[in-house]
Amino acid sequence: MNFALVSLSIPLFTGLLLLMIPRYGGPWVVLSSTLSLAAAVASLVEVVDSGNQAVLLGGWPELLAIRLHLEPINALLLAFTALIQLLVSLYWSRNCRNDGFWALASLLHATLAALWLSGDLFNWYVTLELLSLVSVSMVALAGKDSIKPALNYLFLSLLASLCYLLGVAIIYGRYGVLDFQILSRMTVGDTSTAMAMLLMTLGLMVKGALWPLHLWLPPAHSRAPTAVSALLSALVVKGPLFILTLLWTRMAPMELTDKGGEFLAVMGVFALLVGGWCSFRTPLLKEMVAYSTVAQLGYVMLALGLMLQWQLRETLVALWLFVLAHGLAKTSMFLAAGEMQRIFGNKRVTALRGASQTAPVAMFAFAVAGGSLIGLPPSGGFLAKWLLLEPLFYDLQRWPLAFAVLLSTLVSAAYVFRIVTLAFDRAERGQAPSRDRVSEWLALLPALLVWGMALVSEPLILWLTRVAQ
Amino acid sequence: MTDTLLFYLLVASFLWAAGLHGLIVARHVLRRVIAVNIMTAGVFLALVTLAARAPEPDPVLHALVLTGLVISVSATALALHLGTAAFSTEKPEPTTR
Amino acid sequence: MMGGPWLFDIALGVLLVVLAIASIHARNLYAGVVMFISFGLVAALTWTYLGAPDLALAEAAISAGLTGVLLFAALARIGNTGSTPFTPRRLPALLCLAVAGLLMVTLWPLARNPSVLPGMAMANLPRTGVDNPVTGVLLNFRAWDTLLELAVLLVALLGSRGLRPTPEEEPVPWPLLTAWSRLLVPLLTLFGGYLLWRGGNWPGGAFQAGAMLAAGAVLLRLNGLLPEVAWRNPVVRGLTIAGLALFATIAALTAWLGDGWLNYPPGTDNALMMLIEIIATLSIATVLTLLVAGNKTELEP
Repeated sequence: MNFALVSLSIPLFTGLLLLMIPRYGGPWVVLSSTLSLAAAVASLVEVVDSGNQAVLLGGWPELLAIRLHLEPINALLLAFTALIQLLVSLYWSRNCRNDGFWALASLLHATLAALWLSGDLFNWYVTLELLSLVSVSMVALAGKDSIKPALNYLFLSLLASLCYLLGVAIIYGRYGVLDFQILSRMTVGDTSTAMAMLLMTLGLMVKGALWPLHLWLPPAHSRAPTAVSALLSALVVKGPLFILTLLWTRMAPMELTDKGGEFLAVMGVFALLVGGWCSFRTPLLKEMVAYSTVAQLGYVMLALGLMLQWQLRETLVALWLFVLAHGLAKTSMFLAAGEMQRIFGNKRVTALRGASQTAPVAMFAFAVAGGSLIGLPPSGGFLAKWLLLEPLFYDLQRWPLAFAVLLSTLVSAAYVFRIVTLAFDRAERGQAPSRDRVSEWLALLPALLVWGMALVSEPLILWLTRVAQ
Repeated sequence: MTDTLLFYLLVASFLWAAGLHGLIVARHVLRRVIAVNIMTAGVFLALVTLAARAPEPDPVLHALVLTGLVISVSATALALHLGTAAFSTEKPEPTTR
Repeated sequence: MMGGPWLFDIALGVLLVVLAIASIHARNLYAGVVMFISFGLVAALTWTYLGAPDLALAEAAISAGLTGVLLFAALARIGNTGSTPFTPRRLPALLCLAVAGLLMVTLWPLARNPSVLPGMAMANLPRTGVDNPVTGVLLNFRAWDTLLELAVLLVALLGSRGLRPTPEEEPVPWPLLTAWSRLLVPLLTLFGGYLLWRGGNWPGGAFQAGAMLAAGAVLLRLNGLLPEVAWRNPVVRGLTIAGLALFATIAALTAWLGDGWLNYPPGTDNALMMLIEIIATLSIATVLTLLVAGNKTELEP
């Protein structure tokens, strides 16, 4: 447990330090995320070796204290957060023009770590609010254009928090407990519990931009500074999703999981198709990447829904693999998109004509990341999608879903290849744009990692199958 | 006593729904901020009413509401600053860097 | 059943709902803000009535004080433009009525459903080192929430600071207000300190005290009696982060040297909690002052 707490404290203290002395933000954050990553890996090793751990804060008895818990999944997410933070800050320390970013990024990292470790419904509310306020502040860093999307994001996020909080109030009123592990032994399927689950689910769906409650995401994610877009898409939307997963897989009473699963699965399919279609249609490059996030989150919802409906363990593994693969791929995609937007000085997709010749590395990063989003073998995205599809083929009843997944693969191929074909067009003759080779390579790095996941696919899947419950 | 509590729970539901309604239909940023605050007050009223179920009020719920109040004033301040920056009627100041 | 107390309950509840609806839908935004402030005061009254004096103090300081000032400041800059009362439509109103009904059905059975947690909190209270149960919960049982809550407050400030809205003409202070504030501010400071000190045993505590101090500072600032509170001043910066920094340091030290994260060593609880409260009060007061009356024209440090 102590390693995990170290992994949380390092970015927290770095953030405070950077508020006091706002200089050398980039190097400091790179250093702190490296150290935090090391601590998170140590905690992962520890938890794999010696099993799940939990600590009651302050040494108070159960019920009274907030419980932090560390399981392999939490430790994995801790390490994943630190890794994405490291990759993004490596890239951004070459490009950042705003010192305000670094302190907020560190606080964001600490917030996410607090969220992964927590196991208390109200404490989750506090971390969710912290997460929203940090994200909104970071979106607003981009200046004038981003303020209205940031404000809209804040309002929807507050509405979502109030839904969630009301759900927590009902749960507390009904059971008198806030610790979700204790609740998981107590819940029964009565009206109050159903209503509380509904309110919390709606709130978390807004915060996690799950279709059809995603409307705030595309403007906010596409107007934010590039590094912020990457962090928001790769990490922030996963926070509410994590809570949603835990609530439904562990806490929800048996009577509700069936209906909840069906609902989530159907919404997931819609998210895949509608989000993919919007991504295909939009004329703006970063908005296209943002809509692709909406679509990809559909897989996560679908996986969760299937898990609840049919108690399939594989789909839960697929869910976590989607989270990891999508995080890495989307980081790369946003960084590459931002890089190309900077090179060509234009936000539109059409500006990328001939990008394969004028900005080859960034375009390659974009295409490689896109490959994982489509699910081309042997990328991380392919592993996840395969695990999701496999159980669907066994049962004739599930074929419509399998068909939807395949259709969505086509849609995602369409929106990625739309960019790629444009990039292979002949470049218009003009002066060669100024490129920064190092940052192009840094944008490629996360995409290479997601393809690298294929190298360790077998042990990874076996291990996740063992630890995912 | 229970009847009083039921009455307050009813008021809390109405406040929450009134805030929700305001957030849906209102356009001006100030009205939306006020609507969010009304919704918050609705949740807090529900929590405080639940705290009053026992003869000795529940300190845990009171502490939760206090934490929630601080969070809500923080979010309100941020929303109002964002709103001011987005909709200010005066001419924006040329940023000097 | 229709006795005196019932009448009071009904009056409070009806007043709350009416003020809530009026404050959102008032034709004039200025009136809306005034209604909202009165709503906050009635809410504070309700908290007292429902046995939560700690909350009443905080609510009064927030709704009537800080949120009110913030709303008025925003109103002065944004103005009434675009606030034309919306065409009342039936569908959203009916939907929200249905939501209220549904919520009531859900909340109904909870009123007779006692919880074990309060008894447990009371039983463990002597070991926390304070007598006020709310303070005990905030700073000991659920100290982690409070730590994160300080971070929320700090982040709201950071987010607001980067926005740089238009500078407002500093109004000429009203002489009577200047004279009054010379008297009021020491009183507010004194009351703030008193709230902090008594928070350990009676209603009150860091947040209420911080809000009082901030109200005093804002009053001075509006009269131009206080030099500008600028983020670029390292002392101000230090004060804003001090609460969170101290709390997090204590958490880290207790995990490293002691028994665990936020597990105060026996015998030191009272002292540590008092220290956290004092520093947190100063931090909260500084952050709130900056949020309400911070230097608007300031650039990034």
